[in-house]
Amino acid sequence: MFTKLHYFYIALALLFYSCEKAPLGFYNGMGKRPKYISFDELKSIKSLPPEDITASGTIFLKDNLFYILEWRKGIHVYDISDSLNTVNLVFLSIPAITDFTISGQYLYVDSWVDLVTIDIANLQQIKEVGRAENVLKPALYPLLYDGIFECVDASKGAVIDWEDAELTDAKCITSN
Amino acid sequence: MKKTLLGYLCFLLLFVACTQDADLAISEGGKSGSITRFTTHQGYMYVLNLNEVQTYSLSNPNKPLLVHTLTTDYGLETINIYDNTIFLGSTTALYILDISDPAQPVLLSKTDRSLAFFSGCDPVVVKGNYAYSTVKTIINICGNSSSMSAVIVFDIVDKTRPIELAFYELVAPNGLGYKNNYLFVCDEGSDYLEVFDISEPNKLVKTSLGIPIIDPIDLIIDGSKMFVATKTDFQIFDVSDMNNIRRIGKIER
Repeated sequence: MFTKLHYFYIALALLFYSCEKAPLGFYNGMGKRPKYISFDELKSIKSLPPEDITASGTIFLKDNLFYILEWRKGIHVYDISDSLNTVNLVFLSIPAITDFTISGQYLYVDSWVDLVTIDIANLQQIKEVGRAENVLKPALYPLLYDGIFECVDASKGAVIDWEDAELTDAKCITSN
Repeated sequence: MKKTLLGYLCFLLLFVACTQDADLAISEGGKSGSITRFTTHQGYMYVLNLNEVQTYSLSNPNKPLLVHTLTTDYGLETINIYDNTIFLGSTTALYILDISDPAQPVLLSKTDRSLAFFSGCDPVVVKGNYAYSTVKTIINICGNSSSMSAVIVFDIVDKTRPIELAFYELVAPNGLGYKNNYLFVCDEGSDYLEVFDISEPNKLVKTSLGIPIIDPIDLIIDGSKMFVATKTDFQIFDVSDMNNIRRIGKIER
């Protein structure tokens, strides 16, 4: 809830913005730790049986098909030609995905640092047809978070989430 | 939300200006909702990094080729295209880019709020000379976050200088879209799809046509149908008669 006190703090912050910063060096205590998937998992793009939506994202409508992103996992595809009886057709498994668009028979997605082109002419058998490597720059820090975190080790794979963890000798911190 | 004088003062400081827009981004042969970082336009694809607008040529559609990069400040969140113009929402600013030459976006304007906290400039839809944007501002002060949010209308006659005309406070709005003179706004915070009358484009008049929906996030309006996505499902409405908006479909779990 937003209270007068909150407004007061905001006004105060506008005037004198400065957060406590931990001293340079290593940090210990509760923070965020990246969760990785391997590069092999990242490249495992395929059609799977339909699944339920649990954490939706970008939506797209084309040719009586409704596409809805499942955060970090893939895209659900529904046939909506009959509004009363929509059909959950397929789940396009695309690990680490956070966004996409479609043009013609091609689906363009982010795949961690790569931009991937997927041929979806046959939804039941999609296939990766192009991968522009290292063009995307996902955040290497937890978003909307202020505090210490374990630095991302890019050799470990793609970051798909951040979990709370007790950290020792953490070397990264966000401070706004 | 409690309306205090102090609140409004903060609010005004926050929204010095923040626009972007787009018709529901019309990609070749399809359309996206209002919240996305990817879009295609006339044989090109635009992709947002946190501080870059990348332009890819799709002349070889299975092998997008990076042809141009425009660097911005950090915090880009949404892209939409309307009338050969790109509207970007970022955490600190609204960017308007000209794409008369789609291979090479050119910056027209950038509204800046160099304030020391996060502020979100969320998706925008454009109708003629007006842009309608939801703004979900998350303020993070020494680890304590709060939010202040609204739907805002901007005058964009001069794309180098958008002017804020009016705003209507909401709880935590997300995607939006319009049909004729009605603006639909997903307010996730109040579990409501709000409907505004925008027949006077510089005003936001809330109507009683809104629809209760749990966690609405984004929507697509396609002719007489409206698709509303929530966190865990989507629903289809017939919006051919605004006085009789009917839910005609829902996915079955």
